Amino acid sequence: MKENLWSFCDGDGNVSGAASRPILTRRQAIQGGLVTVISSYLGASSLTEVAFASPGSESERDLLVVLFLRGAADGLSIVAPYGEDDYYRLRPTLGLAKPAGKKQPAAGRLSDLNGFFGLHPALDGLYPYYEQGMMAAVHAVGSFDRSRSHFEAMMTMERGAPDQKGKDPSGWLARFLNAVPTANPTPLRAVAFNTVTPDSLRGATAVTTIPSLNDYRLDLPKPDMKKHGATVGTKAINTALTALYGKGDDEVTRSGRATLTVLETLRRSDPASYKPANGAKYPETGLGSGLRQVAFLRRQNLGLEVACLDRGGWDTHVGQGGAVGWLALQLKDVGDSLAAFAKDLGNDGLKRVTIVVMTEFGRRARENSGLGTDHGRASAMFLLGGGVHGGKVYGKWPGLKSENMEDGMDLKVATDYRCILAEMIAKRLGGGNKIAAIFPDGNIPPPLGIFKG
Amino acid sequence: MPRLSRRIYLTAGAAIVVAGVSGCSEVARRVAPARHMGKIPPLPSTGDLSPAVRVLNRAAFGPSPGDVAQVTKTGIAAWIERQLDAPLGPETDESEVWQMRLRLRNIDVLHNESYDLLDWQGDEVRAQLQQAALLRAVYSPHQLRERMVDFWSNHFNIYARKKVGGNDSSPELVEVYAARDNANVIRSHALGTFPQMLQQSARSPAMLGYLDNQLNKKGVANENYARELMELHTLGVDGGYTQKDVQELARCLTGWTVEDRFLRNRGTFLYDDTLHDDGEKVVLGVRFPAGEGERDGIKALDLLARHPSCAHFISKKLVRYFHGMEDEVLIRETAEIYRKTGGEIKPMVAHLLNSPALISSPPIMKRPFDFVVSTLRATNAETDGKSGVMEHLEKMGQSLFQWPMPDGYPDKTASWTGSLLARWNFALALSQNNVKGTSIDFGADSSPEGLVQRLLGRRPDDPVLADLLEAVRNVAPADRVALMLASPIFQWR
Repeated sequence: MKENLWSFCDGDGNVSGAASRPILTRRQAIQGGLVTVISSYLGASSLTEVAFASPGSESERDLLVVLFLRGAADGLSIVAPYGEDDYYRLRPTLGLAKPAGKKQPAAGRLSDLNGFFGLHPALDGLYPYYEQGMMAAVHAVGSFDRSRSHFEAMMTMERGAPDQKGKDPSGWLARFLNAVPTANPTPLRAVAFNTVTPDSLRGATAVTTIPSLNDYRLDLPKPDMKKHGATVGTKAINTALTALYGKGDDEVTRSGRATLTVLETLRRSDPASYKPANGAKYPETGLGSGLRQVAFLRRQNLGLEVACLDRGGWDTHVGQGGAVGWLALQLKDVGDSLAAFAKDLGNDGLKRVTIVVMTEFGRRARENSGLGTDHGRASAMFLLGGGVHGGKVYGKWPGLKSENMEDGMDLKVATDYRCILAEMIAKRLGGGNKIAAIFPDGNIPPPLGIFKG
Repeated sequence: MPRLSRRIYLTAGAAIVVAGVSGCSEVARRVAPARHMGKIPPLPSTGDLSPAVRVLNRAAFGPSPGDVAQVTKTGIAAWIERQLDAPLGPETDESEVWQMRLRLRNIDVLHNESYDLLDWQGDEVRAQLQQAALLRAVYSPHQLRERMVDFWSNHFNIYARKKVGGNDSSPELVEVYAARDNANVIRSHALGTFPQMLQQSARSPAMLGYLDNQLNKKGVANENYARELMELHTLGVDGGYTQKDVQELARCLTGWTVEDRFLRNRGTFLYDDTLHDDGEKVVLGVRFPAGEGERDGIKALDLLARHPSCAHFISKKLVRYFHGMEDEVLIRETAEIYRKTGGEIKPMVAHLLNSPALISSPPIMKRPFDFVVSTLRATNAETDGKSGVMEHLEKMGQSLFQWPMPDGYPDKTASWTGSLLARWNFALALSQNNVKGTSIDFGADSSPEGLVQRLLGRRPDDPVLADLLEAVRNVAPADRVALMLASPIFQWR
């Protein structure tokens, strides 16, 4: 029941006012079981079958938020090994200043994580969550793809399996969703805030891909267009579209049915009027706006189980910057957006939320002559949520001595990223017995103990 | 002040506008597994599709009213032959309809030197590039040429908003070079020979800027262009090259840059000998002796273009584009033509279009550009190609010259099924004559049967259309048009 309670309370446990009032009535209906009558508007359309999960049926699973940093983010700046001299030897210009003191964030300096690693100063917003034990980092993590090609590496990582030629080209999240079925048929079960579906969700039967929920509506003819002979009927158009997309199991008709269901769902609620709780302020950025909408869907209890967001800007070949500059600006957006999301949901709300921040590979240990970094191998990951044993940096650290690096120049992948995802699926997402289906290539190293459960 | 690399820049803008469109939101586009090898999602039935319609859907951007009759009358093979003989270069030949020339006359980016465009304000350069591309695709009688322009524009993708110079308040964007790239690389060689197109592309300021080769200098090589040249332009990721080959190829191309000196022909290709690494190189096992200067790059490009992997890679992409699958036999045959002719595009395309397999090949989901263009053609729309229609295309996710990654817009169905709502909204707006700068005339026969023939080029008694006819029977004519364009069957070509 907790699942449902928090979703219409603010972070302090009070039922919030105007923002949720119109929703409350409907929720009460939902809590009563299935919403059976939403069809007055649609006539006898197939959408009458839309049902929402009764409380509890999906509550064994966390909401999973996957933030993919596309373009290979520099793990050595994000979680900097300030305790290693080689770091400063290889990064004479880009190396970040050591923390001022234990556990004391200071402007322009790393925030200490464990006496060896420091968090980039632009991620200050997230530091409190690390300190409270709700955020963990994993370092020297990556995939088995050694191409150093963005496309190859992202494909490998998002599919969750190496060379997929001739095999099912689905993504790991799609296989997760398919392996862990739901009683909840809403197409909002998995949402990618994007214009194209990411490969991780490829092959899932119900994925909604949208840049913004606010734009998700059918622009029906205006009344003054009647002169052109339109019926101006929402009902007529909806009925016809429902009929046109009612049959068929190809990707287009399936997607059309899902689209119609989402339209109906969003018509009955209003994402634009969503007010964050706890004084959370999302940055006015794509990522900030995306996470704000994730929070909306979560609070609306619309059956969201997986949200995918992307953030680019990491391919810092030139002019990467240090504590300030290009990379810092990107990180600031990531840190502040995630912190706002966490604050909005509140610690109680975060209890059943897991956020994963990942990137396709890291960057070369040695900075280049353009004060940037070229394509490397291992990078860092973040895990944030109530189910994370946080306040730690996980993973073996191979070090930055050239003899310990891949091809003598790149941080070695010491931790297979699948090992983290697999543990998360087992402990937080109720898929412990489905790992073999989700990561069919096996050979997943034992869990690092990052997650509770 | 170091210049920002392509991806840094582009992702900055995108991240602010829309979460995740930034960078490379969609990923594994290049090497999709062969359809017949993996688990394939079911495809819809194409019904009783006439060969003329299929050919118009694949070799053209769908039928305009009267096209099916004309292709049938001319004969498919003769029509293809005529399309293959389209003139390349600007629209000055007699066969181009006069409206086409008039439509493009006032698009100044087509008639200016790159350097002149630097003074233009706001989004005008990009808007005109997009406008020209759309108008040509909708109205040009040389439809196959425009199809090939679509194909090669994605193969040699240019992201117009990459910053290559200037400063933050007055950035110099790749878009100023994009019109020249489009004319000199893509359009001039769309049905020419691939090795020549590749050489032109490597000398195109747009490509050199977009993929950072203008920063590729002796001692401080930038591998970006060299890598994509092998991975995306010629050999394919499995084409048999190594990281070492990428580095050596980058060395060959040091000094290939853009003229930027005062009182010179700024904004054109420049080989700068002082920036060239003139030592010995080995690319793909071939030795490039020291002291060859600009010839290093020319020879390396030639080596790539004549490599068997290149013949295979280009053939495979062409087969996918025209046949919607990766038929091994067709790929082999096409690659054989590539090898025999030294990379001539026309005979390869001729082979694919004349192949009987074209008619029975699986349906291909229209990408948004395809959908918009075919919609405008089917409705015989009058469009200015400006922001009114472009905003719709943008919502569908394929705003032209806006794909940040060098692999071009994805060609997989799964990448585009999320855009259905935007397509429906375009169909609704168009049918209501509610798209700014675009209008359609319903014509005389607005019966469901008449519209099916006119908009889809199909016979109304085709059983596959029964549901469609039924669904639109009791709605008004404008809604009928909207629903046909929004219907599942119109999303495929």
